[in-house]
Amino acid sequence: MSTAVQHIVIVGGGTAGWLSACVLAARLPDKRITLVEAPDIPTIGVGEGTWPTMRETLATIGIPESEFLATCDAAFKQGSRFDGWRDGSAADSYLHPFSAPPAAEMRALASAWQTGGASGPFAAAITPQHAVCAAHLAPRQRSMPDYAGALNYGYHLDAGKFAALLMRHATQRLGVTRIAAQVGGVTCAANGDIAALVLQDGEQLPGDLFLDCSGQAGILIAGQCGADWVDRSDVSFNDRALAVQVPVEPGSPIAAQTIGTAHEAGWLWDIGLPARRGIGCVYASRFLSDERADEILRAYVAARVPGTDVAALTPRKLTFRTGHRDRFWIGNCLAVGLSAGFIEPLEASAIVLIELSLKALVENVPQTRAAMDIHAARFNEVFRYRWDRIVEFLKLHYVLSARTEPYWQAQRAAETIPARLAECLTLWRDQSPSAWDFPRVDEMFPAASQQYVLHGMGFPVPLSGEDPSPARLAEVAAKARALAAALPTARDYLDRLAAQSAAARIPA
Amino acid sequence: MSQHQILNPAEHGQLRIQTEAGAEYGDNVMASLVMPAEFREAQAHYPIVLRRDAETGKLAALALFGFEAGENLYLEGGHWDARYTPMAHAVQPFLIGRPAEDGSAPQVHIDMASPRVSSTGEGVRVFDDAGSPTPYLETIATMLGDLDYGWHDGADFFIALEAYGLVEPFTLEVTLDNGAVQSLVGFQTIHEERLASLDGEALEALMGQGHLARIYMILASLAQFGNLVTRKNRRIALG
Repeated sequence: MSTAVQHIVIVGGGTAGWLSACVLAARLPDKRITLVEAPDIPTIGVGEGTWPTMRETLATIGIPESEFLATCDAAFKQGSRFDGWRDGSAADSYLHPFSAPPAAEMRALASAWQTGGASGPFAAAITPQHAVCAAHLAPRQRSMPDYAGALNYGYHLDAGKFAALLMRHATQRLGVTRIAAQVGGVTCAANGDIAALVLQDGEQLPGDLFLDCSGQAGILIAGQCGADWVDRSDVSFNDRALAVQVPVEPGSPIAAQTIGTAHEAGWLWDIGLPARRGIGCVYASRFLSDERADEILRAYVAARVPGTDVAALTPRKLTFRTGHRDRFWIGNCLAVGLSAGFIEPLEASAIVLIELSLKALVENVPQTRAAMDIHAARFNEVFRYRWDRIVEFLKLHYVLSARTEPYWQAQRAAETIPARLAECLTLWRDQSPSAWDFPRVDEMFPAASQQYVLHGMGFPVPLSGEDPSPARLAEVAAKARALAAALPTARDYLDRLAAQSAAARIPA
Repeated sequence: MSQHQILNPAEHGQLRIQTEAGAEYGDNVMASLVMPAEFREAQAHYPIVLRRDAETGKLAALALFGFEAGENLYLEGGHWDARYTPMAHAVQPFLIGRPAEDGSAPQVHIDMASPRVSSTGEGVRVFDDAGSPTPYLETIATMLGDLDYGWHDGADFFIALEAYGLVEPFTLEVTLDNGAVQSLVGFQTIHEERLASLDGEALEALMGQGHLARIYMILASLAQFGNLVTRKNRRIALG
């Protein structure tokens, strides 16, 4: 069979669906793109942190940065800060910033930091971004070209507004066809492929390639193509979240990074947008009751967002299972987004996995059905590798903790630690994480990320002959001073941008 | 109206300065003072001319950016199209302040009425949160020191020019591409004939004090008038 792949049909209209529609329409202008979404299914709307990759994605699909920031009520994200993960004491905090120097430079700085007595935060010795985050500054000036920055950054955003912006952009500017309908079933081809979707009114929607962006249900990849579920809850315990949105005082500082604060049986996320903070309590139901999680969430909000009427909050409860499909691409169906898998948002892996899936697809477009199985097999191998690395990297955040609650002790139990992670930890006593450990193109968590978490958690830097010159540390400190002086606060930047966009919308 | 204050962290702790180029920041000027000590850099970009103060009769050197008041042909939107900006312009909105009593160290002053003083939250801070000077202010302070030195160091140069009668009035008239005649009057330059007729003793004295090289740099800089005319024609062509 050598049918040409002409028509790509996307099922589901959340962040995954509309991001797919935009990227495919922008990158594959000779393909026809149709998106089917049920008009009445609300999106989950908690995927609110992106990676720096989102800048290239938005530039590719042709949305100006200022329009994106203003429309999605977005803010800059320069990394993740982890509070309370080592021992829960007041001073217990470290940053995993998005900026990292080249590998050799990073090893030299790490050596100098360790040799100098590991005084001060590890990330502050490595990158000026630590100082910039601490001062709530934006990573760029408004006079810079779109998507350029003095430091590496991604975004925090309102997921509902983001999906709406992407939908408008896809349908109005990129020529994507939107069909508002429930998918009732599918018609299969003789080879087992999906020949067409059957919409609820009985209409057939034929396609050559189908993207399953239907969320955790995975109505095509699991419901139709029979993908099995690979459960990862043996390593990653958390399975619930309570989420709230809390308005903030006008003019209050906007955090430059996601804040993840450990609690007795999980952690809390805290994502600052210009007008609100999204706060959620992630926990393992086998260690914590819903009631206790609710108490922890309210206590956090009371302490961190003064002036909030904590009693009036109505947290939304999310239940999830941690794991992924055994295959993501089966026949002519590719799962993108939550349909492919889910893990706690500790390092905001959800949206970047969508981007990486789309990158893999548009750079390896099957032009005929005959090529599809080869691409599918490669895709499945690459993304299985990625899921394994994600599971291990998130686990790394837990295994070095000295917290004593039963949950934290269980997180450190040897039988819950993946073998490859255990091996790496053995090697990392003698040699720093390197490209030997993470050799692939587009590694999601390269050696630098591992080092930020390892040494942030107090794991010593192995000293192996690099020049531990303190002059290098002084250069980073000087750069930090210069950047801290030159960058505006995120609040000033975003407030002025919002005022300008509002003025631009008023007809003359 | 200018509004000078002594720069200090108590009053200016949160102050930010717009450092990029732009007419809105006062860069639309036709000339800037240039110190003899910076002729080497300046002559690579700008014509250097002399001007006699109407009241005191004292000479000073200017780097020209345009032909008429408010015209800066090097300014292209937010970009200053030259690698070097004369210090007297680059230090704005800062100035050197001299305390009343002689001999005390000069202070950094700021003109709070300058459009470079930011009210938008953008721009570069002068002091950090601890009240210490930022690297930007350190650079400015160094430049103010160089400028102060250049001002005093330059005085002998102009005295020498007068002593040897090396200054003559300078007028320029060029016909632009659109037929208009652009003229420049009221400036002085080096009297080349008299320079050529100086005897060995005079040349040795001028060279010994470092003046001779600077005299030739002024002469060499006159070649930049060709570039200035090209910039003017290009601007007219772009409308």
